[in-house]
Amino acid sequence: MASTSSSTAVDERERKRKRTSGGESPAAGAEAQPSKWQTRREHEIYSSKLFEALRLVRAGSPASSTTTPARSRLVREAADRALAVAARGRSRWSRAILASRRRRLQAAHRARLRAPTVPPSRHPSAAGTSAAPGKASKTPALARKAKVLGRLVPGCHKLPFPALLSEASDYIAALEMQVRAMTALAEVLSSVSSSASASASGSSSSSPPPA
Amino acid sequence: MSGRRSSSRGNSVSEEEINELISKLQSLLPASARRRGSSQASTTKLLKETCSYIKSLHREVDDLSDRLSDLMATMDHNSPGAEIIRSLLR
Repeated sequence: MASTSSSTAVDERERKRKRTSGGESPAAGAEAQPSKWQTRREHEIYSSKLFEALRLVRAGSPASSTTTPARSRLVREAADRALAVAARGRSRWSRAILASRRRRLQAAHRARLRAPTVPPSRHPSAAGTSAAPGKASKTPALARKAKVLGRLVPGCHKLPFPALLSEASDYIAALEMQVRAMTALAEVLSSVSSSASASASGSSSSSPPPA
Repeated sequence: MSGRRSSSRGNSVSEEEINELISKLQSLLPASARRRGSSQASTTKLLKETCSYIKSLHREVDDLSDRLSDLMATMDHNSPGAEIIRSLLR
């Protein structure tokens, strides 16, 4: 299939880029800057990844074979996966998104061969464990909020407080970019489909959508 | 894990680093809850703002993916649309 070969080519290029860029980023300072999600380049990278992922979704489920809520869930998962790939593995939440999906696929394949060895995540309910000893003002209310935040950001429910804050700020910036990219894509698609239906001829109209 | 933080000797992270992270997070949030002298924003309120903001972003992404899936379904019937978009994105 042309779409799968092009997506694997994109993945290979992504991996090469991750290897080279991993060597030149210094270890000092934060590894994932929230401001990088606001560059136009990142937006373009994510948009093209999103489009490829959506094409795969569309090819995987032909029209009206899946129900509408299931299809939107597929779209949401594809968008999250594309976002995680765009993070290039430098943030914990992106690795958690990709790892959880891979784990789920593997568990579905090996469900009959052996018992699922997913350990129950028992994190201690005591509020004091997430804070370093000797730090004042860790009231239970704060720890409760921190726990809720840890549940919202994927893969960060056990992080200490400062790492959780850093992951959350990167995640928020990435989510904002995801919203911007998906909105733009929805605008383009709706304008294309509305203009195509308005022309009512069915032949390709080569009028570009208004920028 | 502890080797990634820039100033982590041992396990404790300094208080000012946490404050720096908190202020960075606060700058990301929409400025709806920021008042004059924003230093009085307690961390609890900030975390609550952050949680609600992330939830609203999730909801927005869900709505957008609903919309996109509907658009994709209608777009199946005119494949010239996909060609145009693909040529625009490359």
